[in-house]
Amino acid sequence: MRILLVEDDAGTAADIVRALSGAGHLVNHVADGRQGLLEAIGAGYDVLVVDRMLPALDGLGLVRALRAAGVATPALILTARAGIGDRVEGLDAGADDYLPKPFAIAELLARVNALGRRPALQAEPTVLRVADLELDLLRRTATRGGQRIELQPREWRLLEFLLRHAGRVVTRTMLLEGVWDIHFDPRTSVVETHVSRLRGKLGAPDLIQTLRGSGYVIRAPEA
Amino acid sequence: MIAALRRWVGTTGFRITLLHLLLTLLGTLLLAGIGYWATSRFAAQQIAAEIERDVGVLLGAGRLGGVPSIALSIEARIAADRSLTQFFLLAGPDGGRIAGNLAVAPRRLGWSTIELDTATQDSVMLAFGTALPGGHFLLIGRDLAPVRELEARLLGAAGWVGGAAILLAVGGGLLVGRSVVRRAAEMERALALVEAGRMETRLAARPGGDEFDRLARRVNATLDRLQASMAALRQVSDDIAHDLRTPLTRLRRRLETLAEATPGAALEEAVAECDRILEIFAALLRIAEVESGARRAAFTAVDLSAVVATVAELHASTALERGQVLVADIASGVTMQGDRELLTQMLANLVENAIRHGRADGTVTLALHDDGITVSDDGPGIPAEARDLVFRRFHRLDAARATPGSGLGLALVAAVAGLHGIGIALEDAMPGLRVRLALPAQ
Repeated sequence: MRILLVEDDAGTAADIVRALSGAGHLVNHVADGRQGLLEAIGAGYDVLVVDRMLPALDGLGLVRALRAAGVATPALILTARAGIGDRVEGLDAGADDYLPKPFAIAELLARVNALGRRPALQAEPTVLRVADLELDLLRRTATRGGQRIELQPREWRLLEFLLRHAGRVVTRTMLLEGVWDIHFDPRTSVVETHVSRLRGKLGAPDLIQTLRGSGYVIRAPEA
Repeated sequence: MIAALRRWVGTTGFRITLLHLLLTLLGTLLLAGIGYWATSRFAAQQIAAEIERDVGVLLGAGRLGGVPSIALSIEARIAADRSLTQFFLLAGPDGGRIAGNLAVAPRRLGWSTIELDTATQDSVMLAFGTALPGGHFLLIGRDLAPVRELEARLLGAAGWVGGAAILLAVGGGLLVGRSVVRRAAEMERALALVEAGRMETRLAARPGGDEFDRLARRVNATLDRLQASMAALRQVSDDIAHDLRTPLTRLRRRLETLAEATPGAALEEAVAECDRILEIFAALLRIAEVESGARRAAFTAVDLSAVVATVAELHASTALERGQVLVADIASGVTMQGDRELLTQMLANLVENAIRHGRADGTVTLALHDDGITVSDDGPGIPAEARDLVFRRFHRLDAARATPGSGLGLALVAAVAGLHGIGIALEDAMPGLRVRLALPAQ
């Protein structure tokens, strides 16, 4: 993917560039907001990674200006600010995701991937499929190989979230946010517990893979 | 209507009206009383003077022409008296009437008042009796009815003036009181908005103006300063965020990179230490932000039942890992105005705390009822004298120093509870600690 990174802190920027490039992305880095805006409007990027506090034009202003100009490129805001309303403010400005610093590189990679291949809104699927697992969103049924699987509401949401990101890594934090709507880090093993319970219900062969240190991915088992 | 009246009775406006009324009433009464007393006294003195003059004239006539001359004078006076208010009696030594229009009268010398029994009315007259040479007796009286009438009129007039004064006092009091009450209510409304987190609200103050405008300007100046210090707090938060968190993040990243290259326990510990420092910063900033009250502006109706259920779900597995059971007793449909995320974090902190300090194979209970939430464990509890201290920043009981934690979890709980008007009480669960949260009245 082509990624634009707008970050004024040279050290952080170098780390991010190294990590994203290492994952096979093409990264362009600029250090101030105005330059970032010009760059983001002009060239066709797949994902924007924008620091919130920037010289010349701050991250929120940048995203707002982009959206006003009709540019819908997915944007991930990075911030060192941990205010309670900051995340909502960021999303209101038109950002697609919000990641407070410090973050693990794996977290950033997972989120950038999740944003980059987001399906277009028009093509909202009604059935999510991986291998012989089917989740019918309209009839709210889950089946594996034609066999009906009974799911608790939370398990349903967990499976739906995984399937919407099928083939891509989702982190524990992304699951806490997306499935539980929790935006702080509770010291809990709720994600692990639910994933293992879901695994049990889905049966063999195992579709959910655990990637140590980064998260989970649902995909068809390699033959 | 009744409630509005009761509210009005409690106001300054009502007290001002009442005071105004009492003072006006007192003033009017005093004025009327003095006027009445002076006028009626003056009228009575006038009558007494007339009587004295008559006595003088008749005695003079007596000195010149004796008793017959007095009798003649009396008859002439009676004939000339159109108002029928003058009374005379000239009696002989035997008490028999020689002249005059009084049948009998007590033979009293000097001033006296005598009851008159005329055909028209009961009345009283003021009389002066004089002994004449040769045993004769002369009594001259004047009916006091005109004085009484004057007094009655004075009383009537005082009544009218008093009534008018009461009306004016009540009207004026209401007018003044209402404006006081209205302006005080305006101020109260504006300050309630400020309390609700709308820091930009200001009181209306006319330039120049009265003491209310001066008060409003003073309050506005105070609010300006408060807002400025909140902005400063935010600035400091941003500065800390940018100038401390960013380098710390970089340091953490360096250490992480190093750890990847040369794995070792020391480097991993250093990364963990960085995380702890960053966590403490985040917690301190968050507590400060919550305590500033600015979040109230973002309050919405929060489904507390759902929040409690989520927290119970989040921590059920954590409790199980310690061999504990997390029992959730949740009433449905409980809502309150608040910040969902903060309320969730507050409860999560409390439950986390209960799990951490509860007995290893014990029970942690999380209960939500219409009026409150309780979180109980069956661990060692907190001694009564230490209960107030646990909500302070960085306070950790000696017994807890060995367990992980920043000492800020309960400080955040206290800040979030304060923001929402939730009361916290720590109780002895015998054994263990019970935290009781009292929801604010709707």
